[in-house]
Amino acid sequence: MAASKASRIGEETRIDKVNAELVTLTYGTIVAQLCKDFEDDYPEVNRQLDKMGYNIGLRLIEDYLAKSNTMKRCANFRETADMISRVGFKIFLNITPQVTNWTTDNNSFSLVFDENPFADFVELPDDGRAQNELWYSNILCGVLRGALEMVQMQVEAHFISDVLKGNDTTEMRVTLIRYIDDELPPEDD
Amino acid sequence: MSAAIPSVACLGVIGRNNNPLHISIFPSYDPAANTFSPIRNPLQFSLLLSSTIDVFDLRSKSSTASGDFGLLHAIDDRLAAYGFETNTGVRMVCIVDMRGRRVEAGGSGVAGQGSGAAGASTVGAGLRDSELKPVFRAMQSAYVRLLQNPFYDPDEHAPLGGKGGRRITSKKFGDDMKRIGEAWTPGVTTL
Repeated sequence: MAASKASRIGEETRIDKVNAELVTLTYGTIVAQLCKDFEDDYPEVNRQLDKMGYNIGLRLIEDYLAKSNTMKRCANFRETADMISRVGFKIFLNITPQVTNWTTDNNSFSLVFDENPFADFVELPDDGRAQNELWYSNILCGVLRGALEMVQMQVEAHFISDVLKGNDTTEMRVTLIRYIDDELPPEDD
Repeated sequence: MSAAIPSVACLGVIGRNNNPLHISIFPSYDPAANTFSPIRNPLQFSLLLSSTIDVFDLRSKSSTASGDFGLLHAIDDRLAAYGFETNTGVRMVCIVDMRGRRVEAGGSGVAGQGSGAAGASTVGAGLRDSELKPVFRAMQSAYVRLLQNPFYDPDEHAPLGGKGGRRITSKKFGDDMKRIGEAWTPGVTTL
């Protein structure tokens, strides 16, 4: 029920469009340049992407709230997950990753990406390390972390598989650490 | 009873510095041994591709608008080189073996289309230039896909003003070339 409502919001929200290839090439250039700047230190590139995403997320959440017209808070983390997939990803990337693999305590779920506009055309460098170490779309983890932090949820997000590495699916694991109390100022990261 | 029809013997991509970017070689049918094997060795194919560069240069003076150079030269009674050049100076060459693939006579519908299986036994009968269009279109779109990969650095592969450049190492591009070379036969319109 909640899911269908979320779908409706995602579908109905009108949003300015931008050429997909522009996005893909821009993001690709960022990742490739980071790899160059950090001399193929892929764990560091992952960290930088996550940090960039975090800073995007802090700002993007405001845009999300304005565009989606959702004034009500999500009642639980399951609802949050639905809104992330069907509204957030839908309006910003026009995709709806599947929400699956919930843990029994409802604090951790997976987003499975059937399509990933960032990774179109991409082939990871064939240097024997990128295939294992680089998480190409890691910026998305940062975006979720930043955006959810602004609505009092501290989460941890990381990719656990990627079709670019030869896995069957692209899967991101999102875990709720805690709800941040309103009184406390948000932690500096 | 079987007949031979044309097939792709070699696909080559040449960079704007006249440097080799990619060479794919495909086996041809050998009726004597009833096996498939390349009819030239890699070095010979490389030389054949190099020799097309002169033809490209010569013809580019009176260049065609479409970039399609058609038949560049007929090498012998079996092999013929066809070419295509993009506006950025990347050249694609397709060397066709006129008797590279075997078909059972009267059996295959594909063989009957296009130039016709019977007439293909001599280069004189030849292929219409338009027969190679799908090959070049597919090669060009594979090349475009390669360029979209952020980790592919075009400058590295053909430095401006300079000489040389590295070869294409992309597995996806190699697979695309393999697919194109194996799938093409006269009469195929999409690859």
